[in-house]
Amino acid sequence: MHDLLPHISEQLTEVFGSITYFIPEAFLALLFLVVMITDVLFGKRSAGLCRTVACAGILVVIFKDLQQFALILDGQHFIFSNMLLLSRSGILFKLVIDLLAFILLLYFTWDEKLNSHEKGLSDLYSITIASILGLHLMVMAVNLLSIYLAIEIVSIASYLMVAYRSENAFSTEAGLKYVLFGAASSAIMLYGISLLYGFSGSLDIVFQSTIIGLAKVNPISAIFAVILVLVGIGFKLSFVPVHFWVPDVYEGAPTPVTAYLSTLPKIAAFALLVNFLAPLMVWSNGIGFDLGIVLSIIGVISMIAGNFAAVMQTNIKRMLAYSSIGHTGFALMAVVILNLQGLSALTYYLLVYALANIGALALASYFSNVANAEGLDDYKGLGLKYPIASVCFTIILISLTGLPVSAGFTGKIFVFSAVYSVYQQTHSIWLMLLMATGALTTVVSLFYYIKIPLNLFLKRSENQDIVYKKSYNLLVLAVIISFVLILLGIFPDFVLKYL
Amino acid sequence: MNILTLLIFIPVLFGFIIMLLPSSMRNSFKYITLLATLVQLGISIWIYLNFKTGAGHGGINHEEQFQFVQKLPWIGLNLGSMGKMQIDYFVGIDGISITLLVMTSLVLVIASLASWEIKSNLKGFFLLFLLLDMAVIGVFCALDFFLFYMFYELMLLPLYFLIGMWGGARREYAAIKFFLYTLFGSVFMLLVMVGLYLSVTDPATGNHTFNIVQMMNPANYSAQSVFSLAGHQTILGMPARTVGFVVLFIAFAIKVPVVPLHTWLPDAHVEAPTPVSIILAGILLKIGGYGIIRICMGIFPDVATTHAFWLGLLGVISILYGAFNALAQRDLKRMIAYSSVSHMGFVLLGIASQTAEGISGSVMQMVSHGFLSTMLFFLVGVIYNRVHDRDIYHFRGLGTLMPKYTAFVMIAFFASLGLPGFSAFVAEAFTLAGVFKSHAVNGLLPYWMAVCGTLGIFLSAAYFLWTLQRMFFGQQSLKGGSVWKTALTDLNLREKLTLAPLALIALVLGIMPSLVFDKINDSVLALIQFLQAK
Repeated sequence: MHDLLPHISEQLTEVFGSITYFIPEAFLALLFLVVMITDVLFGKRSAGLCRTVACAGILVVIFKDLQQFALILDGQHFIFSNMLLLSRSGILFKLVIDLLAFILLLYFTWDEKLNSHEKGLSDLYSITIASILGLHLMVMAVNLLSIYLAIEIVSIASYLMVAYRSENAFSTEAGLKYVLFGAASSAIMLYGISLLYGFSGSLDIVFQSTIIGLAKVNPISAIFAVILVLVGIGFKLSFVPVHFWVPDVYEGAPTPVTAYLSTLPKIAAFALLVNFLAPLMVWSNGIGFDLGIVLSIIGVISMIAGNFAAVMQTNIKRMLAYSSIGHTGFALMAVVILNLQGLSALTYYLLVYALANIGALALASYFSNVANAEGLDDYKGLGLKYPIASVCFTIILISLTGLPVSAGFTGKIFVFSAVYSVYQQTHSIWLMLLMATGALTTVVSLFYYIKIPLNLFLKRSENQDIVYKKSYNLLVLAVIISFVLILLGIFPDFVLKYL
Repeated sequence: MNILTLLIFIPVLFGFIIMLLPSSMRNSFKYITLLATLVQLGISIWIYLNFKTGAGHGGINHEEQFQFVQKLPWIGLNLGSMGKMQIDYFVGIDGISITLLVMTSLVLVIASLASWEIKSNLKGFFLLFLLLDMAVIGVFCALDFFLFYMFYELMLLPLYFLIGMWGGARREYAAIKFFLYTLFGSVFMLLVMVGLYLSVTDPATGNHTFNIVQMMNPANYSAQSVFSLAGHQTILGMPARTVGFVVLFIAFAIKVPVVPLHTWLPDAHVEAPTPVSIILAGILLKIGGYGIIRICMGIFPDVATTHAFWLGLLGVISILYGAFNALAQRDLKRMIAYSSVSHMGFVLLGIASQTAEGISGSVMQMVSHGFLSTMLFFLVGVIYNRVHDRDIYHFRGLGTLMPKYTAFVMIAFFASLGLPGFSAFVAEAFTLAGVFKSHAVNGLLPYWMAVCGTLGIFLSAAYFLWTLQRMFFGQQSLKGGSVWKTALTDLNLREKLTLAPLALIALVLGIMPSLVFDKINDSVLALIQFLQAK
């Protein structure tokens, strides 16, 4: 204890120094408190107010994110005793997350099923803000301890969100499943972390100490520990084989929460994966075990399993759940190569995927609101009754498939070209396999995505007397998203030049 | 404003007008669409008249020899160590594209006239029609692979909805089959495209480029790249360039369609409404042939020469298989669809011969088949609209009932079966001459292929004449009895106005094939020279 005393002031200085690099997160923490207090003060009527505060707060956070670019002009910074890393790609990931979070916060009340919840939505806003804080930390975490903490913050927030409205046995089951699987996977991850700590005596992954420590132990046990940690991250990413929770939870959760689950934690988990893998790749090559191959296999299997399983679905949300597994597999392609071009392709791909996915789920909400449609059969003949929404749905699904002219296509092509340029040097058969699978599963994905426009436009509805209902908010959101997707399909450099 | 850009995007402009007009003005949509296609036809004729010929305007692998060029930087990304990504908006035409462009514009006018029969969801139909219009014109003009691919894929979605929403009984099946087939071809094309892009550098800027013309120059490939000519790289154990060629060829062969990748075509044709059938047969199939010439042969000339025998064989199989299938059909539209397979086989056979005659014949065949298949499908549409039946055995003796209609049918049939004096004769004669010559000149194709091709012409005479005899001659007898008899009125003015120019063109091109050959000759010679030099 006495030995540590002289260090205290030094440590404190470091902590205070780090806060400069931690402003958006500090704002998020503050915002969480403000939203919660608003909720407590204004009671049942506070939902609208909480929403306003939360949205305004997120805008401020986005602004603060932008300001951080000035801080990294001299390179990346490790803060809080190497717990977190502030880097350019990290800020970009945070921006993407905050931007999408803003859309989601707006979207929550527009889903009638969620909005009709008697408890009100006020709590949901504070939970979401807390989860965004966790997502920020996930993006920045570079220490096994901070990784675990960040993932847990996000997990606990998402457990609450999934179970927020349990209208029937099915959604209760979804909530419970999610908690159980989540808890189990985080336990596995914690076990892996403890093994890594035991092997190397250090929690730092970016610095050499862990790697050197790992090099001294039996490679098989070290690989085992790494794989255990990957299971925890993979749970958030929902790649095969830790994907089994996805369909039930996505289907059972309220639609806006599904939109949240399928996008934000995924993006953050990818950022985390990149941070986690970069040092380990070097180590794994050193011991003659290629972590890249493991990820390639996971990627190929995820693409195949996700896309082929989606073909058989009849529920829209369940179909999108399986397709999101496929998208994870595709994005893993950009992670495997682990270079700068891959990283910017990954960011772009994830942004575009997330936008389209939120758009698709918003429209699922829309059709559920106006026509009580949940399954593919319910969509029959709605296209001519709701032409704008249906056209937007088609555009969004085209983007998810990755056909021109849409942002999904440009995203796909940037990932392909990033992977190809590495393939040209290494001639790794795995990269070729990844790309071939990616191309093939595009055709498969078209087959199920097109089922929605098929039912909307090509089929005639048996039930003619549907009550017309108007719902403008979601429609406007869908139109904006479709417009952005087409615009990015024609001029991707609007966004890409910053990545 | 570049004239080609104008030509490509005029439909979008008119599309916006239709989009903004209220549905109450739906009767005006067909006139607006017709106007759009007429303006396009006017522009393309102007381009045709101002198209310069001569040795200095061959095009193919000389970027400066293309005409009406517009090149704008479009997507330019700095990729750090990887250099810069260079995607241009690059349009331009040479002899290969010009005639197809004029043919396309005219077919689109006919198709928009044929769309007057559409009665439901007019706004959607004409918007999709104009979008498709833009995409097909774009494909023939694009010289940047990325741009080409954009237009190429953009055709799929409108066609899916056009077949799926306004089609016949099995429209959903036909639409999705068409979509999946074509997409299957083109996603792998995407991979080859990205590979080519990373292999090729633009000598002017030093960046990787999607420029198709630059891709034709072996010197632009960096030595370690996948598709480098000197590098002899392999993909999964096979020579990379062969893999690239085969993938591209499959993509375009699905469009042509080449047997055995043709099975989407009869379904799509039978279910599609008449205007869409016209566009499918008249234009879409040509995009396949055009792609094989411009992209497969242009970028992988070495592989195309080595495997010319197999291309020729596929062509011969298509000719014969399509013809035999056409003989066996009861459905008139299906018969014509199979005859398209057979006729497009000549295109592939001519290309494979790699002789000036053969390739000229192929391009001529594409132009001629564009007009003739349009005419044939329009004629089927006429009878189908009147009685909603097109089974060959349900009609007999139409000749006395609908004399004018029968006259046009006879012109179309005789022109299609290769009667001298019509365009198809010139095209097929040139193609076969090229194939015969090939054995002596470059030794790529054996004689028996030309013999089989001739047999194909004979078979086409068989199925066309037999159909003529079954449907139009003999004692009048209709399945629908007197109801049909009153329904089957002869051609009206609109239909006559549509058919007359087509019949005229088939005749004019047969008598004066120089209208086409003069424009394409320099490019064909440049292509032959390029193929021999490689």
